[in-house]
Amino acid sequence: MQTSEKESIGRLLKEAEIYRSHGLLSNSRAKYLEILSMSRKSSAISKNQKFIDGIKSKIRAVEKSLDELRKRPDKPQLNQDMQALIKKLFSFSKTEAAAAIEGAVALAKFGQYEKALYEFHLLLSQGILPLVMAKNIIRCHVALKKPDAAAEEFSKWLSRDLFSFDELAQLRSFTAAAFEKEGIHTPLPELFTRPRKTFSVNKEEETFLEISAISIHLQNGPFQSENLDFEVHFQSANTVTVHLPSTRKEIAEFFVPGTRLDNIECYSPITVFRSSGTVAGKATIKHGPKRGDYTLDISIDAD
Amino acid sequence: MAIFNAKDRIIECKLVFYGPGRGGKTTNLEYIFKAFNKNTSSEMISINTMGDRTLFFDFLPLGLGKIRGCEVKIQLYTVPGQARYRSTRKLVLKGVDGVVFVADSLEVRRKANLLSLRDLADNLKSEGKNIFRIPLVMQYNKRDLEGHEVPLLPLETLDMDLNSKLKAPHFAASALKGEGVGATLKHALLLTLRRLQTDLKWTR
Repeated sequence: MQTSEKESIGRLLKEAEIYRSHGLLSNSRAKYLEILSMSRKSSAISKNQKFIDGIKSKIRAVEKSLDELRKRPDKPQLNQDMQALIKKLFSFSKTEAAAAIEGAVALAKFGQYEKALYEFHLLLSQGILPLVMAKNIIRCHVALKKPDAAAEEFSKWLSRDLFSFDELAQLRSFTAAAFEKEGIHTPLPELFTRPRKTFSVNKEEETFLEISAISIHLQNGPFQSENLDFEVHFQSANTVTVHLPSTRKEIAEFFVPGTRLDNIECYSPITVFRSSGTVAGKATIKHGPKRGDYTLDISIDAD
Repeated sequence: MAIFNAKDRIIECKLVFYGPGRGGKTTNLEYIFKAFNKNTSSEMISINTMGDRTLFFDFLPLGLGKIRGCEVKIQLYTVPGQARYRSTRKLVLKGVDGVVFVADSLEVRRKANLLSLRDLADNLKSEGKNIFRIPLVMQYNKRDLEGHEVPLLPLETLDMDLNSKLKAPHFAASALKGEGVGATLKHALLLTLRRLQTDLKWTR
């Protein structure tokens, strides 16, 4: 073996070993293959069968590790303590219901579908955002590759007075789309008759995301450098009502109807999004324990 | 999204160690756990059931004691670096107050560093945050491999690749040996707490 060849292969071997020890298995494999190729081309080394076998054995070992990694589940099931920790760490909202939804969504995103299913069912039974919960339940069943369970769940909803006809239609098409995406052909029950329960929810109300809190960032004026955070007390379609204590009179005075708000962060139980809006109304509370406080109606731009 | 409990004067904030897979994020946290164990309020939790690769995240709560009359608690997180765990990274980044970007000095990881930084910028954007504005510290890890006959990116190249526009404070480090880990953490905490002081109007 030529000295320069020997040195080159020695360097490559060290490199391959370092990559392997750092878990960079593909890089390690590539280096070993490079060594093998060099060795085969070299008249001196190509005869050293023991050396070549040694390199081949290293390649096999790295490939075995790569294969094991590929076969490992992306999101293994965790024990109850870890699931509880995920739920706790990823619930950010101040309101109990919103925090519970965030925790359940986090469990699902971390692949803890069985536990997430339990949480979504619990929230559904409490009447919290039923349509959103139902969609999440379907998502979990599909992720668990249990389309029959999803279809059965849908059948149950059909027979109960939980959703309006339009909502059931939405759920059916949502489930069908989720099945189609995964190449699932499980049939879903048809919607024939309109259930007893009817809702007078208009289209806008149905499609606008529930907002639990907003944070207003003003571009100018006396509150320019502040984040004005408000919890949403009431929402009708894209208009939210927030409460302002009388101690924050200066803010209430600043927000006159028509004031344009170009930077609003909206916190919904399932996401945070940036939007803009307009102050639609302002009122002073005249009765009750919050007498003297203010309410602000803010119309969020639905773009 | 730091939590400020005005009544009890407690501030809780979140620092995330981000970077490409196998870059040394977990090793950073392990070192911090060992070196700062006086400040840790519980064990480091690695939600990582598959050997040495982070699948979900690592979590280490740290107490910094009283600063300007407030009890300051920090939650340190790592994200899974592998490209396929994007949705997990997004989730871990939720409510982040500061970021340490752990770059891998190995030349073969140059592209992975760049992709991870872009991924960070995108995920911060979807959180309504800007990579240019968030408290950010760069760490150029694995410097212990210098002289080990493995192609390593010079610090200048790493800085040019990753930090020429961001101009974030940067530290050479070997998380394995603990070198530069403390300095990185201290600077990241300093930037994060300074920002929180401004944002939360936090005074004694």
